[in-house]
Parts: sequence; structure tokens; C-alpha cells
Amino acid sequence: MSFDPQPLLLWYRNHPTKGFELGAIPIWFIVAGGLALIVFLVSLLSVFVNHRGAGRKVFTGELSGCLSDLGSLSPRRIGALAKLTFLEAYRRKALSVFVVFALLLMFAGWFMGDTKEITGDQVKVYISFVLRAVSWLTLPVVLVLCSFGIPEDIRLRSLHTVVTKPARRLEIVLGRVIGFSLIGTVVLVVMSSVGYVWIVREITTTVKTQGLLRCRVPVYGELSFLDRQGAPSDKGINTGDIWEFRSYIEGATAARARWEFHNIDESALDAEGNLHLESQFAAFRSYKGDMTRQLLFDFKFINPEKPVGPNQPLTFTTEARQIQENRGVTSKINRKLGRDGDEKTYDLIKDFVKKDGSLTVEVSCIDREQYLGMARPDLFIRKPDQPFWIGYAKAVLGIELMVILVAVMAVTASTFLKGPIATVLTFCLLVLGGEESHKFMDELVGGKFKGGGFLESIYRILTHMNPTTDLPDNPAFVGMHLFDSVLTSFLWLCKQIIPRLQYFNMSEYVSNGFDVPWNESVVPSLLVTLGYLVPCVLLGYFALRIRELESK
Amino acid sequence: MNNMTTAQTRKLTYLGGIVLLLIPIIWLGLPSDGTPGSGGTLARLRSNYDLGESDLGNVDPSSAAMNLVLLGMRGVAVNLLWIEVDKQKDMKRWAEMQAVTESIVRLQPHYEKVWDFNGWNLASNTSAEWDAVPDRYYWVKAGGKFLKRGVERNRKSTHLQYHVANLLQKKLGISDEAKQYRKFFLHDPDPKFNGGVDPEFNPDGLDSYLAAKKAAEIACEMEKFREQHILDRSLFRAMPARCQFDYAMVLQKDGKFGEETREAWQEALNEWTQKYGKEYFKVPVGVGEEFFDIQMEMDRDDIKQSAKSPDDVVKIARAVESYRRMVNYYYWRTRGNCEADRETSEAHRDFYEATQFYRKQELEKAKASAFAGMQKFESILRKKGYEDLKDEDTLVEECLLGIMVWQDIHRISSESVPEEFPLKWLVQLRQENPSTMQNVARSFKRLFLDD
Repeated sequence: MSFDPQPLLLWYRNHPTKGFELGAIPIWFIVAGGLALIVFLVSLLSVFVNHRGAGRKVFTGELSGCLSDLGSLSPRRIGALAKLTFLEAYRRKALSVFVVFALLLMFAGWFMGDTKEITGDQVKVYISFVLRAVSWLTLPVVLVLCSFGIPEDIRLRSLHTVVTKPARRLEIVLGRVIGFSLIGTVVLVVMSSVGYVWIVREITTTVKTQGLLRCRVPVYGELSFLDRQGAPSDKGINTGDIWEFRSYIEGATAARARWEFHNIDESALDAEGNLHLESQFAAFRSYKGDMTRQLLFDFKFINPEKPVGPNQPLTFTTEARQIQENRGVTSKINRKLGRDGDEKTYDLIKDFVKKDGSLTVEVSCIDREQYLGMARPDLFIRKPDQPFWIGYAKAVLGIELMVILVAVMAVTASTFLKGPIATVLTFCLLVLGGEESHKFMDELVGGKFKGGGFLESIYRILTHMNPTTDLPDNPAFVGMHLFDSVLTSFLWLCKQIIPRLQYFNMSEYVSNGFDVPWNESVVPSLLVTLGYLVPCVLLGYFALRIRELESK
Repeated sequence: MNNMTTAQTRKLTYLGGIVLLLIPIIWLGLPSDGTPGSGGTLARLRSNYDLGESDLGNVDPSSAAMNLVLLGMRGVAVNLLWIEVDKQKDMKRWAEMQAVTESIVRLQPHYEKVWDFNGWNLASNTSAEWDAVPDRYYWVKAGGKFLKRGVERNRKSTHLQYHVANLLQKKLGISDEAKQYRKFFLHDPDPKFNGGVDPEFNPDGLDSYLAAKKAAEIACEMEKFREQHILDRSLFRAMPARCQFDYAMVLQKDGKFGEETREAWQEALNEWTQKYGKEYFKVPVGVGEEFFDIQMEMDRDDIKQSAKSPDDVVKIARAVESYRRMVNYYYWRTRGNCEADRETSEAHRDFYEATQFYRKQELEKAKASAFAGMQKFESILRKKGYEDLKDEDTLVEECLLGIMVWQDIHRISSESVPEEFPLKWLVQLRQENPSTMQNVARSFKRLFLDD
């Protein structure tokens, strides 16, 4: 696999190298609480400035009004508003997006290579095309509809009719979000169903029987390395690959890649008692050697809790296997470990799974002066496959959550901005929410980025100063650093507000033939959506409450 | 009423203007009905300069549709796709890379460098990223097929046709995996071909060198109409004959020494001296860049006939000599003559059999065969006209390997190597060249490794 799915840290942890880390939920409370406090203080100040002596009374009145609105939410009214929003979007011809989708599917085959010969790699392209087309068509429609909904109502003064009814403003915001999400869901469900049928029809029966349309369920472990002397090491050797995803171990030395799998018991085995270990290692040959066979590796199971001698843990090494580069290969290992002629046999679960339920597997390269490259997801325990539609449905769920998030953000933005501006703001938040931009911001905030902050980088550009050269040590530069650090702290806050959208892209799993993992993708996306729903809806409500609706 | 008249007049004026403008547009852009000289000015110009889609090569409707849909944004889209391809290559996402490459060639179907670069990328860079030789071959094939499609889309491209020939000759014939690749070219490892050829890659079921020769011949034919800028013309047009030489050499390497191999050498010699040697090349001579027509097989009388003055005789003779040296003309002529000789063929067979017997540890037979080979090569290399072959590395290494086997058998049998033996002078001559001796030692070690 060419990516490494990492679970979202929910609460906190004590990392051996990084130290104490707060998880997503406490950070959410800190940021949301901080923002609520700022809003509270700014409102209080503005009320006291505008109403002077009567400020306290006005503020208390507003606050009690808000609490009363919150307490008297009516699902019936919200449902009615959502229904009206749905109908409005329908009348605005939101469903005409199906025409574009139909055109794409009709002509996609022209641009996606030879349909006579569908390989596993091509299946990947088909699946990612469908999921990408579905999300790229649904999201802009929802974005534009949501951004222009409330501003258009204000412009046409139709919102006056609504607000004079018993409907609360919070209900208006919620009704809008639900209504637009519903229309997005209808579009998404239809498109993804058609897309599913298209994938299944495009892929021939021969390919299906080869198991290329699959949904593997992996159990990943933690990877660590031993260097050529056998000492623990963070990484293996870099063989000059531009992409530093994989680290390499040298053959016929003490270099090893060691995986630690957790929560392993008999449920990890199949009905015949086999453990399915799927691997996909990279080969690097320092000389060509014997080209008629691939490089060899073996697995070694280790249990230090059952020593066979002083400093000698119980081990069992499997037969040598040839690697299948760029292609996963499943090794079935029977729980009865032993070779022909061996008197003593071991049980994989009873003898090698430790008391805490973890299983240690070491991989070594057998060929001298040759190298094997590996990353964490390159070896996993493969549990029985799920039907393909389950993975596909989860990927569609990812797009659905994204639709809801876009609806929430765009409706909120439209409560205090005009349609085009709300569209641009939401679009920018979506662009900034990508993995690459978050990585960039992390580097900037974490001080890893060469060239300094805002003022320092301007100074370096103007004076043609190399980013590695130290700045002069004088009060002006100290001030500049101080200013930059304030801005960087502000960027930290902005970074917390910008959604992390990498979890929502689940098509990568499905197109690579994997099930979408709950902890690494579905749960984080769900939490991010919920995390934005509550503050955004409240922000939209307050904005609509304090907004002068006469102003177009 | 007055207003109505004014509006009507204005509309009629516009209509008149439209009709007037349509006349030059129709005159310029009238489509051709297929007969020569028909159609508007643009259609005729397109036909005269062979710029129509169908003149350039196969028409791909999806490519035309994509270009049309992008309006003027083709350049931007292509740039983004190139960035994407580069990123996918770094991240080893081969399927996606291939798909994006397809999109690029759809947007730039007549940009030859795009086909050339991506064909090379698939055949050389991508194939090298796979460990198993059948996997490597799959990507070499993908590159080759890609280039062939490039030729179909650009039928007049001499360059692309040359690259097809070059891939077949060098990638399949000279790479480290050449032995397996050449075998796969005739017996594809993909089970769907049932051990036969991949008809898309090797439609005629030829040996890779003969397929390369055929492709090179087509490139030479195309070169007559559209010049190439890859090699000097004398080197470019030598390619078919060189492929035939390679074919003959590889037959020997595969242990085939019968009539088939001798005929292959004879054909190579004929191609070299009768066909290539008789071709005319317009070459610049002297400071004034005066151009003369020369042939590789020109003798003194031919030169005198084509020269206008005694001074020109000297100039042309110098040019002929210089070009012969550049294309290694003498060497290949001598080698061809020598190898087409039955005695040489037998000498090669003796050495080959010696190594085979040696591997089977049939030492007496190996010793006799090696000695026979040494004697025959002694006689060949002493012949007048073949003296230059003592400088030819492949041949010399073959002789030295035969001698090494012969000497080793003496050592194993606890016999002393005779003081004098055939080709002793060659051993002494080449002992000063460490790289030759290293190559021979390596080949000797590998005798028991290669199948």
C-alpha cells in the first residue's frame, strides 16, 4: 500500500519520543470553549458600548432569548423548513448535475485505457474515477446551493415571512443545513449507485473471479527496525529513493524489520487455522545477481516471554519466500509451526502470542548485499475479506459526511456573508483542509519550516538571505521574532479551525482493494463533522439573530 | 413607424454584413471533398503540407473531443498532468501513472517528444522498478506498444519509428535481462498468450533483432521523406545492417553454428557492403562546406569519376575514409567476411562445445574441442585481411575463454600446459589489458552459473 493509515488520537497519549500529546476531543473543547468565550466577551463589550447603562439589561435579555430559542427547538418546524429547502433546491435544478455524471460515465471508457485487457491496476483507476467524479460533482452543487440560499431569501425578503412565523432562527439554520444535506444525499445516493453498477459492469467476469474487486480487512501492527548490527533503530537504510515512505534492510546481516501486532487471538486465524500474512515489500539490488528469481525473505515469530535459554527468546523462522514487488502476496501460515522431520512443533497462538495479546513478527532479507524496503502498511494480518460493496458504501459515506460538512460551513457563512463571498470562504476552507496544506501549516507552526515566519521570510527574500544563514542578533530582530511568533500562534488557532479533510477521502482504500477502517477513517470523519456541526450552527444562529435583515 | 423602419434597416444591414463576412469565411474554410485540390484555401494548404489529422496518422475521436472541450486550456491541463505523472512515478503508483500518461498523449497526440519520453519512461524507468523479470518485461512491452501507437498516430515521424527500432534492438537485446527478454519476445510469459507471441508487440513472430531490423528499415525508408535529427545520417542508415550483425552474433551466443548462422552472417555482410555500402551520403568536405556524394564502398576509380578536379579527389577520398572510420565500416566488413567463412563457424562451434563439455565435466572431449578451436582461430587470425580482428573484444574474449578452459583442464588433470600452443601470442598481447582479462575471468566463473 502506498499510504499509511493512522488512527486519530482521541484523548491523549504519552509518546516515547514526542512526549505528552493531547487528542482531538480535548483540543476541540479547548478551541470551541475559547471561541465561545471570545464571542461572549465581544458581545458583552459591544452591548455595553452601544447601550451604555442599559447594557446589562439588554445583554441579559438577549442571553435569555438565546437560551429560550435553544430550549424550544421544534423538530416539526425544522422538518418543515428542511422540506422547503429541499424543494427550493430541486426547483433550482440541482438534479441537472445527473446529466454531467451520465455524460462522464458514457465517455469514461474512452479515456481509461484498453477495456479489452482489464488488470488489477486498471480496476484501481475505475474505482477512483467513479468516487472522484461523484464527490467532485456533488460537493460544488451543495456548496453553491447552501451559500446562496439565505442571502437570496434576504434579498427577496422571503426570510421576513419566515422569521415572523413562530420559527426560531436556530431552526432556520438547522432546517437549511438538513434540507441541503438531504438534496446532496439524494444526488450522492443516485450517483454512487449508478457508479457501482458501472464499475461492476465494466469489470469482466474473469477479473472478478481473480478477486480483483475485493475488500481486504487488514490488521496493522507497529513497525520498528534493527540495524545491520542488530541494534534498535528508528529507520532502515535509505537506498536513494526520492519517496522516503519505505526504509530498507540489508540482506544476510542482523538488520530486521519488526512488526508488533496487538489484540491477536484465534479470531485472526481462518477456519483451517491459518494466519494470513499479506506483504508487499520493495526490492533494491546493489548488484543484479540471479535475475531468474526475486529476492528472498523470511518471517520469524518471536516470543521473549518463553525463553529457550539465557537471552534467547522462543523463535520460529518460516521457509524463505520470494518477494512480489508492487503486488501484495498473502502467505498462509498454519498455526502448527514446524518443519518436516522436526520433533518439536509450536502453536502460533499459544506459543507466540504474548500475555498482552501481541504477536511479534520479524522480516529479514536473505540475499547478501541486496535490500528489502518496507513501511508499516507493507505487512498486515489479513482477516476474511468483506464483500466489495461494503468498502464502497463506506467510501460513499465519507463523501456524504463531506457533503454535510460543506452544507454546515456554507450555510453558516451565508448567515453573515453574501452568496459569492460565502462560496469563496467555504471553498477556501475546503482547499486549506487538504492533507498537504495541513502538513505545510504543521511545519510552519512547529518551526520546522526553513526561512522563518511572516516578517523574517520577507526580510530574507528582500535581502536574498539564505534560509540557513543566522539572522543578526539585535533588538530589531528580536522584535521581529516576537511579532512572527504572535502571528504563528494565530496561525495555530486558524489551523485548529480549518477542518482536516484527509480522513474523508476513503476512495484510496477501496480502489486499493481494502476495507475502509473505522478507527483510521470513518470515526475521525464522523467526529470532524460533528465537531463542526455544533459550533457552526450556533455561530449561524447568532449571526442571523444579530443581523439586520433589512440590509440586502 | 419611423423607429420601426430604423430598427428594420439596422437588422437588414447586420444581415448584409453577416452574409458579406460569410463569403471570405466559406472561401477560406470550405472543407475538402477528398479529391486533390478540392475545398477552401485552408483545406488545400492543410493537404499540401500534410497537416490534416488523417494525414498525420490515425484519427482518435476521444483525443479530438478532449482538446475541443478544453478550449484553449490544453497547455495548462497538460502541465498539471505532467506534474501528476512525475509525482506518481516517485510514489510508484504505476497504474495511475499509465492512466495519466494516456491522458497526456490524448491532449498532445502529435507532439513526438511526448511519445518518446513516455515510451522510454515505461520501458526503462518503470520496468527497472520491478524485481521479477516477467514483470520487467511487461513494462518494456508497455513502452514498446506505446511507441508503436505513437507511430500510428504520427505516421510520418521518423524519430518515433527509430525509437521503436532502438527499443527492440537495445532494450531487448543488450540489457542485463536480454536473454530472458529475447525469449519472452517469442514466448510471452503472460498466460493469456499460451506461450506464443504477444501479437500487439511482435505481430510477425520474429526474433527481437530481426524485428528491430524491420523497424529500422521502415525508419530508413521514412527518413528519405522526413529528415531525422538523432544521429548522423550515415550512422542512422547503418542500423538495419547492424541489427542483422547483432542477430548473427546472438545466434552464435545461443550455440547455433550451422548453416542458419552462417547465412545470417552472409546476409549481414551483403546488407553492409551491397546495400548500405552502396548508399549515397551527401557530406560536407573542407572549410568551405562544399558537399559531395560519397559511398562507403567507393574505390579510387569511383572517386575519380565523381570528382570534378584532382583536388576534389583528395577531398572525397578523405571524406570517405573519415566516414568509414566513424561507422566502423572496415571492422564490420572484415568480421562479416570472416564469420561467413565455414572455418570460422566451425571454430566458434569448437569453443562452444568445449565449454559445454567442460560444464558437464567431460574433460577429454572439452580439451580436444578447445584445442581444435584454438587451432582454427590461429589460422583465421593469421589470414591476410583478418589481422584487425585481434583487436575485437568479443572475439578475443571468446578465444581467451577457450584457452582458459583448455589450460584449466590441464591443471585439473595434473598435466603441465605445453610451452607452445596456438594463440599464445594473443594471450600475451591481451595480458596487458586488465579489463579484457577480468571479463574473461568473470565469464569463466559464470560457466557453471548460466543455464
